[in-house]
Amino acid sequence: MSVAALHQEHLARMGQQVASAQAGDVLACVGLGSCIGLALIDRRASVAGLAHIMLPSSPAAGQPNGKHADYAVPALLEEVLALGGARHRLDAVLVGGAAMFTFGGSTDGGGAQIGARNDEAVRTELQKLRVHVRAEATGGTRGRTMRVRVADGTVVFKEAGGAEVELFSNALPLRAAA
Amino acid sequence: MSLYTDLQLDALRELANIGSGQAAASLSTLLGKPTDISVPTAAALPLADAVAIAGEPEEERHGILVPIIGDMSAAVVLLVPEEDAHTLCSVYGLDPHSEDGRSMLQEVGNILGTSYINVLAQMTGMDLEPAPPQVVHDMLGAILASVLIGRGEDIDVALVLDSNITVEGEACSMSFLLLPENGGVEDLLGRLGL
Repeated sequence: MSVAALHQEHLARMGQQVASAQAGDVLACVGLGSCIGLALIDRRASVAGLAHIMLPSSPAAGQPNGKHADYAVPALLEEVLALGGARHRLDAVLVGGAAMFTFGGSTDGGGAQIGARNDEAVRTELQKLRVHVRAEATGGTRGRTMRVRVADGTVVFKEAGGAEVELFSNALPLRAAA
Repeated sequence: MSLYTDLQLDALRELANIGSGQAAASLSTLLGKPTDISVPTAAALPLADAVAIAGEPEEERHGILVPIIGDMSAAVVLLVPEEDAHTLCSVYGLDPHSEDGRSMLQEVGNILGTSYINVLAQMTGMDLEPAPPQVVHDMLGAILASVLIGRGEDIDVALVLDSNITVEGEACSMSFLLLPENGGVEDLLGRLGL
């Protein structure tokens, strides 16, 4: 195996999900604004998945897809379980959901900003699936990039102009099985 | 995936050409220096590609958003790389990261956005008005994604009208985007009889 293949980065673009059980892989969401990057991690099995979620809920009409939290969260869980992750060992990490701009007088009707709504929708779906959120860097007004190291489940993120911050570490004790 | 005909895209490109030409002329007046524009592109792109149109998503830009309200909802976005923002602000002896520098970028957005949409309004007979500009310094991908879906609009494809404005004799150029909301494009084309 080549060195390049040992450190392969898999990018989850808007509305997409990636997952891996290859120890050398890194999963990434680049330039998250109001979108949420959701990582589901089984550190013991070295399996991780990452979804780049754009909107809270699927429209009444049309094909459900990975853009929407209500579809993307269960779909990501399914993929992580299929790769050998165990539901009771999963840790969820959330990054994104910023409000970089305000859109006055538009179709948001003065309601909550889309970033905050995305955040809430992802949490609601996780609760339904009984997966715990173990770390988060959400809200605020800055864009973020996140990376997940499959080998040990470490999650790092960085804001524009900032340094990389370790958000979720393999130094944390593994959770006892519920 | 082709939402628009070639004829429609040609018409939109011509709108962008005239609009950004007017914007460049306004910038020239503001700076007292000649400006130039590239031939605009008009394309209906999948969202992830639309976000990548102006560069790598992780590159940082000064982003100036001018929301457009009225008969059509849209956004004018100026994307200025760090060095170019310094050049732009240095004309008035300002730093783009200072309060005054940000005000200047905001004013540049205001002047360019307003002249652009005045042209659109004249050509289409639409009633269009700029909302106050907002300035951020952030990742390109985060800026564009937040503008494109920040209103919670559920879209797969975004129409992007993109041109480049260069200040002659200065190492200063910026991307200039018009991003109409989906329903707005139909209205716009309707007004043009297409």
